[in-house]
Amino acid sequence: MKELSLNILDVAENSVKAGATLTQISIDETDELLTLKIIDDGCGMSEETVRAVTDPFYTTRTTRKVGLGVPLLKLAAEQTGGSFNITSKSAEQYEKEHGTVVSASFYKNHLDFTPLGDVVSSVTTLIQGHPDTDFLFTHSFSGEERVRLDTRQLREVLGDVSLSEYDVIKWIEEYLKEQYEQFG
Amino acid sequence: MKVVELASLCGFETLCMPDGDRQVSGAYIGDLLSWVMGRARADSAWITIMSNVNVVAVASLADVACVILAEGVTLDDELIKTATAKGVNILKSELPAYETATELMGKV
Repeated sequence: MKELSLNILDVAENSVKAGATLTQISIDETDELLTLKIIDDGCGMSEETVRAVTDPFYTTRTTRKVGLGVPLLKLAAEQTGGSFNITSKSAEQYEKEHGTVVSASFYKNHLDFTPLGDVVSSVTTLIQGHPDTDFLFTHSFSGEERVRLDTRQLREVLGDVSLSEYDVIKWIEEYLKEQYEQFG
Repeated sequence: MKVVELASLCGFETLCMPDGDRQVSGAYIGDLLSWVMGRARADSAWITIMSNVNVVAVASLADVACVILAEGVTLDDELIKTATAKGVNILKSELPAYETATELMGKV
């Protein structure tokens, strides 16, 4: 994918499909490194499945035999000299604390580094598409959190109003953009 | 033209050819796999310099007639086994992508 933000969308969609009630998306940047982490509390995967998901010929889709979301994210990270990791606890084995953690690190100065792209649009698209699950998005630079959006807080304020309402989505978009503009 | 004929006519090395009778029509050049996935046409020859397992997956998904690895790029044995099992024809050219494509001119 030409932008990492599309990978974020793709992996987070998997979290939602796994029945996550909260999906945490964090981007941590330093001068050299960008680390992307997606943590969910969904149904998780067995050890065997975790091993299989980086294989492009593994997919949960039944409509086609190839699934490239995770393999391409791994490739994108590794071709910058970075790393990729996925760990999971399945609900069957871990009744209380289950879920999946996907993390990918990229060396930003490598020529093959894929730009982050329009992350604001990815996050708003996610929320709009799944207004009934929660997302926590954070973007930090050198350990300092610069951008934060927690749909659980929004939900408290909004009451019965759905997160997918046009005005709410527009507000979220502006709120994120404002935070990015403030810190450049 | 069949993949097997194309390989011999252009002097490409065959890394694996589980489906040599497949007809080739047109060609596509690209290395960004997610991009190729949505754009390479079925039955075309896909020229690339990438050489990981995802190439086999994209070739299978896009349903191209064959992959032509340019610039002398090769695949390891494990990947050749996977490609064979998935029915993906893989050829190899010593030439860069553009020159490889010109070899195909008038043939596909």
